[in-house]
Formats: sequence, C-alpha cells, structure tokens
Amino acid sequence: MNEEQQLMASMTRRILSDHCDTALLDQAEQGQYPEVLWSLLETQGLTSLGASEAFGGAGGSFCDALVVLRETGRYALPLPLAETIQGASLLSSLGAALPDGPIVIASGDFALNADHRLVGSASDVRFGRHAKTLLVVAQTGQRAVLCQLLASECEIEIGANLAGEPSDTVTIDQKVALAHQFPLSLEAHQDIETRGAAVRSVMMAGALEEALSLTVGYALERRQFGKPIAKFQAVQQQLAVFATQVAASTRAAETLMVTESLSLLDVAIAKARIGEAAGLSAEIAHQVHGAIGYTKDHQLNHLTRRLWSWRDEFGHEGYWQERLGRKLLADTKANLWHQITAMG
Amino acid sequence: MFQGMNFAPAQLPSGLAVLREEVRDFLSEETDWSPNSDFNAGACPDFSKRFAAKGWIGMTWPKKYGGGERSFLERYVVTEELLAAGAPVGCHWIADRQSGPLLLRFGTEAQKSQFLPEIAAGKHFYSIGMSEPDTGSDLASIRTSAVAVDGGWKLNGSKIWTSNAHLNHYLVALVRTAPPSEQRHAGMSQFIVPLQADGVTIRGIENLAGEQDFNQIFFDDVFIPDDHVVGEPGNGWAQVMSELAYERSGPERFLSAFRVLAEFGKSIQPEPTDAQMRLYGQMVAHLVVLRRMSISIASLLEAGEMPDNEAALIKDLGNSYERWVPEMIRLHQPGKVSKGFAQALSDCILHAPSFTLRGGTREILRGMIARGLGLR
Ligand SMILES: Cc1cc2nc3c(=O)[nH]c(=O)nc-3n(C[C@H](O)[C@H](O)[C@H](O)COP(=O)(O)OP(=O)(O)OC[C@H]3O[C@@H](n4cnc5c(N)ncnc54)[C@H](O)[C@@H]3O)c2cc1C
Repeated sequence: MNEEQQLMASMTRRILSDHCDTALLDQAEQGQYPEVLWSLLETQGLTSLGASEAFGGAGGSFCDALVVLRETGRYALPLPLAETIQGASLLSSLGAALPDGPIVIASGDFALNADHRLVGSASDVRFGRHAKTLLVVAQTGQRAVLCQLLASECEIEIGANLAGEPSDTVTIDQKVALAHQFPLSLEAHQDIETRGAAVRSVMMAGALEEALSLTVGYALERRQFGKPIAKFQAVQQQLAVFATQVAASTRAAETLMVTESLSLLDVAIAKARIGEAAGLSAEIAHQVHGAIGYTKDHQLNHLTRRLWSWRDEFGHEGYWQERLGRKLLADTKANLWHQITAMG
Repeated sequence: MFQGMNFAPAQLPSGLAVLREEVRDFLSEETDWSPNSDFNAGACPDFSKRFAAKGWIGMTWPKKYGGGERSFLERYVVTEELLAAGAPVGCHWIADRQSGPLLLRFGTEAQKSQFLPEIAAGKHFYSIGMSEPDTGSDLASIRTSAVAVDGGWKLNGSKIWTSNAHLNHYLVALVRTAPPSEQRHAGMSQFIVPLQADGVTIRGIENLAGEQDFNQIFFDDVFIPDDHVVGEPGNGWAQVMSELAYERSGPERFLSAFRVLAEFGKSIQPEPTDAQMRLYGQMVAHLVVLRRMSISIASLLEAGEMPDNEAALIKDLGNSYERWVPEMIRLHQPGKVSKGFAQALSDCILHAPSFTLRGGTREILRGMIARGLGLR
C-alpha cells in the first residue's frame, strides 16, 4: 500500500472508531439508519472514492476504495458505503454525472422493452431500502443496458441477511428516461460481479483482522482454573491457526489493493481463499469466546455474522474455486507452474 | 497488528523473467533423474555440480567467496523453479540455504575463504546437526558435547535424523561446550564437522518409504580444530536461531505436493467434473497466496530483516497445505490415471508425515505464532 492509501486507511479508521461502536451497530440492526455517520463519510469524500472527479466523484482508484472498505469491514459499518462506491465508480466509468445519496446496484432479472419499460426484480439487494439511486442491469435484445432509477419510485420489500443487514427485494415496472440508460459492454457487465467479489473480500479481511484481535484480547482477559485461558496450550494453538488464516487473507486482500487493474484470477483467489478463512476463523473465534460470544449483546457476532454473510455474497468460495479451476484448465497447452508464476 | 504478521505485498522484479527462463532451459535439458517436488526426496551430487556450474549456488554471496552477488529474490526464483520441476536438490540445498549464510554472517575471514567457494562450486555439501536421540523439539536439551583440548575440541555424542549425511562432506553441529546451567541457552557452540574425520561413524536409517535419506551420526573423540568453530564459542544458540527465517520461509515449505497437483491437473484436463475443477481451483488459490506470502518474506530478508515469526507462520500454513493436497486429490482422481500420477501420489502420501515434523513441528511453530500474538 502506498503512503496515500495508508493515510486514507487511518483517516477512515479514525472516523469509524469515533462513530461506529457496538451501540450504533445494534441500533442499525433495529432499523435506525445512522444518517449522521453517512453525512460524515460523504463530506470526507469517501462515498465516491474511485469515481472520477470530472463526474463529481472524489477521484482516486478502485484500489484506494478497497483500502477504505477493508477498514469498514473491521468496524462492520452498517451503511451502504461499499455499494455506493461501486455504483459511483460504475456510473462515472460510463460518463454519467453522480447523483447524491446512497447508490445501490440491484443485480437480478430485468428486461427493458421497446417502449423503454423496465420490468423485473432482484432479491438480496443489500441496503436496497436505503438507496436513493438504484442501478439495474437490464437486457434489451442482445444488449445489456444499465438503468438509473430513483429508489423511491421502486417497490422494495424488506429482508435481512445473516448479519441483520438490510437485504431487500426490489421490484420494478416503470418507464426509464433515455437519459438514464447507459449501454453496458460485456466487460463492464462482468466487472460488476468481479468488483463486488473484490469488495466483499477486503471487507472480510478487515473483519477477520478485527475478530482476531478481539479474540486474542479476550483470551488474555478471561480467567479459568486460576489463569488467563490464553495460557492453555490448546487455546494458543487454535489462535495460532486463526492467525495463519488471517495472515493469508490479508495477503490475498492486499494484492487487490496494489494492482491497478483488477484481475479476474486475483479476485477469484481472494474471494475463494478469504471465504474459506472466514468460516474456519469464525469457528475458532466463537470457541475461544465461550458462551458470552454466542450472545447478541457481545460485539463478536457483528463480525462473525457478517463473515458468514459476506463469504456467500457475490459468489461463495466454491463458485470462485470452480471458476478459477475452469479458467486454468481451459488452456490445454498451459503448464500449471507457468500459470502460477505468471500471476506474480 | 500482531508481531509476525507482516506480509506486505511484494513482487518479484520483472527483470527476473530472464533468469527464470535460463533456469527452465537448464532444467529442460536435465534428464537423468525422475522428478519429485519434495526437497528431501532427491539427492544427486552430479546434478548439484551441474547446477553450481551455472552460478546458482551461493548466488547472494560476495564474489570473493565464489558467490554471485545477486539478490535474495533472484535466488528465490531459482529455488522455486528447481522445486517445481522436482529436481534432486538434496545435496546442495542445506549449504546454499543455511550453512553458507551462517558462515557468511558469523564465520571468520579464513573460514569464509576456505568453505564458501567450495560450496558455491558444488564440491562440498552440508548437513544440519541439531537433533539427537533424546533431543527433538526441545533443542536446548542437547547432550553432544565437546571439551577444550590443545588447539581445539574433543567431540563426543550423537546426532540423528541427519538428512543426507551419507552423501555430504560437512555437518554444522550444535554442541555443548559448557555444562548445562541455569541459563538453558548458554554454553552451546556450532562446529563444522568434517564427516570423514576420524571418530565419526554414520549409520543410515531407512524411512517408511523405504529410502535411506537420513542417518544417525556418532562422535567418538573427534578432534575439531579451533578454526572449525563457527562464531564465538558459547554463542551457538543465538546463531542457530538466526538461521530459522531462511530455513522456514522458502518455497520448499509449500511445494512438496506440487508435483501431485500438477499431475492431477493434467489427468483431469480432458474432461474435468465440476467437483474436480473446484478442488483444483481451491488448491491453486491456496498455493498462489502461500507463494505471495513467501515472496513477501523473501523481500524482508533481502532488506536485511529477520522475520522469524512470519517464517514460522508460513511454514505452518504451507505444511498443512502440503499434507492436505494429496488427501484431497486421492478422493478426486479420475478412474484411470497415468503411471507418473500414481507414482507422485503414493510418494507424496508416504512422505507427508515428515512435512509437519522436519524443520520444526507444527505444534512448535504454532507455539511461536502464539508468542507473536502475545499469548505466552
Ligand atoms: C525427514 C526428516 C528429516 C530431518 N532432517 C534433519 C536434519 O537434517 N538435521 C536435524 O538436526 N534434524 C532433522 N530432522 C529432525 C527434526 O528436526 C525433528 O523431527 C523435529 O525437531 C522434532 O523432533 P522429534 O522428531 O524428536 O519429535 P519430538 O520433539 O519428540 O515431538 C514429538 C511430538 O510431540 C510434540 N511436542 C514436542 N514438544 C512439544 C511442546 N512443547 N508442545 C506441544 N507439543 C510438543 C511435537 O510437536 C510432536 O508432535 C529431520 C526430521 C525428518 C522427519
């Protein structure tokens, strides 16, 4: 990570450590949207990081955005920041001016018919209800078109993921103005999934680092049999395994933060590897925390429930493992070792 | 963040592609050995000599000692190419990785001039003499000892599990040169023991795969001249500890099963099932991340740091991976496989128990990681 990225990370961390505590997470889960924190992030330019300044964005690259999003993973930020950053960078890459407020891409099944009517629905739309702008990919004939809509004009049915994050169903049946339709190349279309997976990967990496410090801290504090449980070798060995998983996740995530153009292979590796680490690590985190960690009151669950959700979003590890395997095997002349060294 | 978790992204400089091609060309002309990516599984003095002739042993050492004054990252490329190709690296591996750098750091001028050029020329091979019959993980409990005599030391005792001692010329042995005291780590020294010296007996031990690659060595009043003591007498423990980052962080800690993986890929390529593709992708994802972590450590070494805890971490993660790969491939292999594949898989299964023992056991490594986390 370059110096600028490190500064951005520490600025984000400062804001979140001041404003994103367990109480806020609990309230958000009960439906109290943390509006004030959103405005703060907005004034700091974080909500449009990676979107070109020419179109109203804060500038910077998608790598920079990933650096910031790892920090939001650490704090389990209950706001559509990842969604908005992704939406804003997509819009600006298509040359569209950025709207204000949260932007959410709703991936689902949509068709745009000849008289510009958009019909379809998307489920599991994270933060759908808090979006001001919804972006939808629709098929029209053979082509894909990105449609920009006011969320207030769409039908939104609320739901939640394992972490209690809004996970809504969006249903649309309305006309879309021509000015709000953007032809989408196949590449740009596929990029939505790849970038989504990259974002979830770095957020998991942040949450994993935080879960490890929380668990180590707890092991040093909690006493049984007259000493901290950290002194039991069985506990130490579990935490060591946890640390190996976190180190691998961090390394896989940071690759994405330092490579200017996101590579499909790197994202597949990161999502698959970190998703795997998420399950194993969450298991150890809970084992070491004992019963207290199993309560809704304890902060650990805000991290582990997100890990369990995020590892499934934008393709679970099995999905990305298969894509990676398929891609590597598709080249019948390739030698595996040459493929690996070419990835750097 | 915790100690021992610094794996900041680092990349091999793109200029190294040329070197990589040179190594690949060299290996493509090698024909008189059968491949095995486990660094312990093949030893061939002639191969090591041919390899040395390319200037690839002691690459990072000063030219005046026969080295190539190249970077640690260049060495990384060469070593990983060797392992991936399954070359028989056993003879020169330890001297190049560990004994040479040790001498370079702690040896006298005379020792460096005498021993290093011979290593770099592929003439002399080294073994590590740490373990003893009653000393494994608890290395400080060694009993092999030496007493000062006129002009040197008289050595008695025994070392065990010494890889390739029967093929090699020297042993760098950790021995007691003062009786055990309150300070467990005091009173130890490192000796360069010529394996042909009077009073040295080497007895081969067959491993469960039926190979004789490790040995027990007995010392019976072996005279070690003063100029064969590495560094300061009594400083042996600190010196041994300084080798660990080199010993544990390299590609040999996660590539032992690579050949099985590559064979698996070839065997499923014509008609892979979804489950096979998934497993293949999973195993490659792990491998790429391990390799990147290992390159991060190599960059720290290049920068003169001593990332012992990072090395323990990657060794543990890498060894677990090496043990898991053959187990999974076993269950996903196609009905009909080539002889090469079957051979690679059975070799790997038979060698797998050693992966998490040699160079520090899984439990000891995890203990180090736990210390880095501040738990002990
Ligand atoms: C193929 C191979 C090659 C080798 N080559 C060499 C060589 O060239 N030179 C050399 O010096 N040595 C060599 N070794 C020896 C190797 O370093 C030792 O095997 C290793 O240090 C472990 O010692 P041990 O086998 O005596 O096991 P022990 O130390 O007796 O351990 C047995 C079991 O107890 C566990 N254990 C021990 N202490 C603890 C603890 N404190 N906490 C928790 N668990 C513990 C261990 O993890 C292990 O599971 C080689 C070993 C192998 C398998």
